Amino acid sequence: MAVELSFNKEIENIMYASHGKPIKDCLQCGTCSGTCPAIEFMDNSPREIIGLIHADMKDEVLASNTYWTCASCYHCTVRCPAGIDIADMMYALKRYSMWKGKYKEGLLGPDFSEAFVKMIVNSGRSFEPILAATYLPKYSAGDIIQEGLTAAGLVLTGKMPLLPKKVKRLKNVQRMVRRIIPIGETK
Amino acid sequence: MKQYAYYPGCSLESLGKNYHISALAVSTGLGLELKELEDWNCCGATAYFPVDELLAYTLVSRNLAIAEKTGLEDFVAPCSACYKNAYTTNKYLKADPDLAEHINYALEEDHLQVEGRMKVRHLIEVFIEDVGLEEISKKVVNPLKGLRVAPYYGCQIVRPRKDKEDVENPQFFEQLLSVIGAQPIEYASKTRCCGGSLIITNRKAALDMVYKLLQNAVDSGANMIATTCPMCDVNVEVYQSQVNREFGTNFSIPVMYFTQLMGMAMGIEPKRIGVGASMLSLAQSTGK
Amino acid sequence: MSEKIGVYVCHCGTNIAGVVNVAEVSQWAKEKLGADGVIISRDYKFMCSSLGQELIQKDIKELGLTRVVVAACSPHLHEKTFRNACKGAGLNPYLCELVSIREQDSWVHTDKVAATEKAKAIISGGVLRVEHHEALEPLRVPIHPDTLVVGGGIAGIQAALEIADAGYHVYMVEREPSIGGHMAQFDKTFPTLDCSACILTPKMVDVGNHPNITLLTWSEVTKVDGYVGNFAVTIKKKARYIKEADCTGCGICQEKCPKKVVDDVFEAGMGNRKAVYVPFPQAVPKYPVIDRPNCTYFIKGTCKACEKFCPTGAIDFNQQDQDITVQVGNIILATGWDLFDVRRIPQYGYGRLANVFTNLEFERLSNAAGPTGGNIVLRDGKTVPKTVGIVHCVGSRDQNYNPYCSAICCMQSLKFAHLVHEKTGAEVYNFYIDIRTPSKGYEEFYQRLLEEGTHFVRGKVAEVSNIARTPMEEGRLVIQVEDTLIGKQRRIPVDMVILSAGLQARHDAKEVGKLFGISCSADAWYIERHPKLDPVATMTEGVLIAGCAQGPKDIPASVAQGAAAAARVLGKIQQKEISLEPVRASINSDKCSGCRICNDLCPFNAILFHEDTMVSEVNPALCQGCGTCVAACPAGAISGTGFSNEQILSQIEGLLLLNLVKPEVVPA
Repeated sequence: MAVELSFNKEIENIMYASHGKPIKDCLQCGTCSGTCPAIEFMDNSPREIIGLIHADMKDEVLASNTYWTCASCYHCTVRCPAGIDIADMMYALKRYSMWKGKYKEGLLGPDFSEAFVKMIVNSGRSFEPILAATYLPKYSAGDIIQEGLTAAGLVLTGKMPLLPKKVKRLKNVQRMVRRIIPIGETK
Repeated sequence: MKQYAYYPGCSLESLGKNYHISALAVSTGLGLELKELEDWNCCGATAYFPVDELLAYTLVSRNLAIAEKTGLEDFVAPCSACYKNAYTTNKYLKADPDLAEHINYALEEDHLQVEGRMKVRHLIEVFIEDVGLEEISKKVVNPLKGLRVAPYYGCQIVRPRKDKEDVENPQFFEQLLSVIGAQPIEYASKTRCCGGSLIITNRKAALDMVYKLLQNAVDSGANMIATTCPMCDVNVEVYQSQVNREFGTNFSIPVMYFTQLMGMAMGIEPKRIGVGASMLSLAQSTGK
Repeated sequence: MSEKIGVYVCHCGTNIAGVVNVAEVSQWAKEKLGADGVIISRDYKFMCSSLGQELIQKDIKELGLTRVVVAACSPHLHEKTFRNACKGAGLNPYLCELVSIREQDSWVHTDKVAATEKAKAIISGGVLRVEHHEALEPLRVPIHPDTLVVGGGIAGIQAALEIADAGYHVYMVEREPSIGGHMAQFDKTFPTLDCSACILTPKMVDVGNHPNITLLTWSEVTKVDGYVGNFAVTIKKKARYIKEADCTGCGICQEKCPKKVVDDVFEAGMGNRKAVYVPFPQAVPKYPVIDRPNCTYFIKGTCKACEKFCPTGAIDFNQQDQDITVQVGNIILATGWDLFDVRRIPQYGYGRLANVFTNLEFERLSNAAGPTGGNIVLRDGKTVPKTVGIVHCVGSRDQNYNPYCSAICCMQSLKFAHLVHEKTGAEVYNFYIDIRTPSKGYEEFYQRLLEEGTHFVRGKVAEVSNIARTPMEEGRLVIQVEDTLIGKQRRIPVDMVILSAGLQARHDAKEVGKLFGISCSADAWYIERHPKLDPVATMTEGVLIAGCAQGPKDIPASVAQGAAAAARVLGKIQQKEISLEPVRASINSDKCSGCRICNDLCPFNAILFHEDTMVSEVNPALCQGCGTCVAACPAGAISGTGFSNEQILSQIEGLLLLNLVKPEVVPA
């Protein structure tokens, strides 16, 4: 019979290659949250998220927008006195929430990341207009117009190609990807 | 001419085109050859890690493997996000044989193998460390007097810790700006995040971060912002008008890549460094 | 075999007997090891009890045993017990061998049959070994009654006074011009708020006046030779350029000296002194020193104002450094601490933002004898702050800097909060991770600070910034922190920031430790002999440590350790000689070829080389019996008493039961 892992342990396992200290070393000192530039837009501070993970409060953590608001600036990581890689933990939470399909409603991050990866698998290179299709529908009318103007400006200054590029050995790359996804976490 | 395995990254072919052409022009001027990797793929920036970690490392490793195949020593990335991904992946490949084994298993499909032997560098450190500030100063024919430049490091070039000594108050960008004749501005937000991909996924948060950054740079007396990453450049330059709308400010500070500033100082024609006529006259008017 | 060996197998209750069949083992020893000399073998429930010991003693007396093997617990526990028992019965204690059939057998195996066989083998090894034991006498080493105390801070002062008051002579060596250490810099001390100098200076004066203390300030130890009871210490008395015999301490030289220098030792860089100076008015001794690198005469050859004005002609620019050698029996190292360099944390703004202060700087600000006369003001020298932020844990409890807690900073931060309230009436914020108030009166002090209206914010400060985001923040320092108790990031504008920087070991602790033959831990604090039960002794006999040199601690603990070290030393001096374990290496000079490989390998510098006879010799008092030289000697000329080749090889033979294999008789 499989052992039921605590949420705490699950997250630690997902931080696979993270070479920081385990999140159980957290003193709850608050340096990460004191440093975070995006904290005003987060439901819970990074420190609170770690506290909630320790308390195995999985649903509260997943329902919080905190880890999807993380910009991965790693400022928390370099300042943490316990040596924990907090930015990596945020990535682990993102992966966990994508895997379980559980996250706060109305967030653009999950769809964006998924679309990005699909785009890479289809072409090997990034192409903004395709990505736009994922998030524009969720923007307000005013914002969509803004984006359009910005895009037009970029096209005119030659900074936005009109056609996507592709990697030449795309078939190989796709087979390469298929060798990973069954091995890594399933989607 | 020393050769470097050059990984432009997706942004340099689109939004960051000026960075790409100015990087090549300046490198030639300094006697380095940037040999673009053949058939490189997207490094994923911050978008792969939310989905699958192993896949993220694998896609980055493909580029490292292609670089290793060239036999060259250095893997140079001009974009800070590409640089950070390549650096940390390279480090983990060396430290974790299990990870390397998994990845090589996948890379077999493209007849590639990776070891982790490349020295991963950011373009700016190649100029500063390999060419040297003294050599660069010798090539300066047009010192950028009057330009008070705020060096915007951004986050991923210094964090997470790579091999740079100081992550809180690095000085290498200021030193570079000094030798090309500009006046570097000291301001506390120089390594603060521009918001990165939050500009798409959480616009309000990113605009807030860009606003604080612009305000600090301008309050500290800058009349130009220099960047080392296309994402930062776009966020700080292209979205200035949105910041103004959101916060009622009226920023209109020019933002350029450090390679463009170097190019100007080295007297390279504006076309070759992606400096438009209007941009050039703007620089000149603040300069002279 | 001419030896008469007694074997005693302990049950240790069920610890051994529960796994090993002790009766069988005892019987086996008698039967099978008789050929090796065993004439009696017993088993008993608790050999270490007085009854068990009496068993052994009875057999020694009645059966004339010449060797004893006890099979019981680890020698770490009861080797001394059984050795003493044998001694009590008239048998040399070193002819007793304790073999462990508990830690090395019954406690680590579950297979009873195999464990019993193993016990037999272990005893067999012991029996074969003990046959090669020699009667040894512990070394008696005389103790010189003088003591050296290195470091003139409160711990060193306490130690010196205790020994001197007991009637014995002490040399105190201090590298600064005056004793007093860091405690002399402080304003008030927690939790009593005693004035630091007021409680310290009487002790300093006692040291200066004491007939039994030779005070050597502006001096450093350069060489330590010898061993416990007999150290020869070379001390360099740096030239003060003042003749102590003539100096009255009038202070005219300091008044007249035209050269001002920033005092970054005593005044923590907050104030100035002259090139000829005493660090503070209550200095002991009262003699000033001339700071040669900053003295105009030494730099340019001019000035000499001090010499001109000195009423007794005590200035002597030709004075030389002096090396003196003293003989002492014991050494106490009380060398204190250095402050963590807060510039290593750039985000706290020290150096870049003017009104960020370190704890030592603030002590000098607050001290009435300090550079601002005790007024708490900003760097401009006049503005009184309206809001002060005090940051705990700067450089401590941090994997990026020092992982340990510096023990005193919480109390120090509370003290600062109190002093700010008292002197300025400003609003005070303390930013902490935990409030650590373990000792007497400490928690009550914290409550007092709560009553005084201090704002406590639980959160480690992320950064100190001068970037204003709101009008309230204009022109002020902003402390950005997460207030973890309410879960919100806060930006608190203040006028002054005090960083409670942590304590670290002296920058040259490792080098100094090497001089005295003691080691430092990874954090560079000196290592005590046992972290719980022996905090002032070290692994080197005769060298003790006291005060913060052993680890961060407050003044009461430093005083206690100084007194403890003194008590240990006095005990040794009283005994007039100490006995050292005779487990030592010795060199057979006939076999020694003079290759000197052993000389440099010895971690205790215990091997001398005789130039005249070209052989090496082990100094038994310094030798700790580690065995390195024994193994290294290519000629096999070194043997360890208690661990000779014969003893070890025999034990191995016995363990393999080779003694029981009858040799094959080969027909001629």
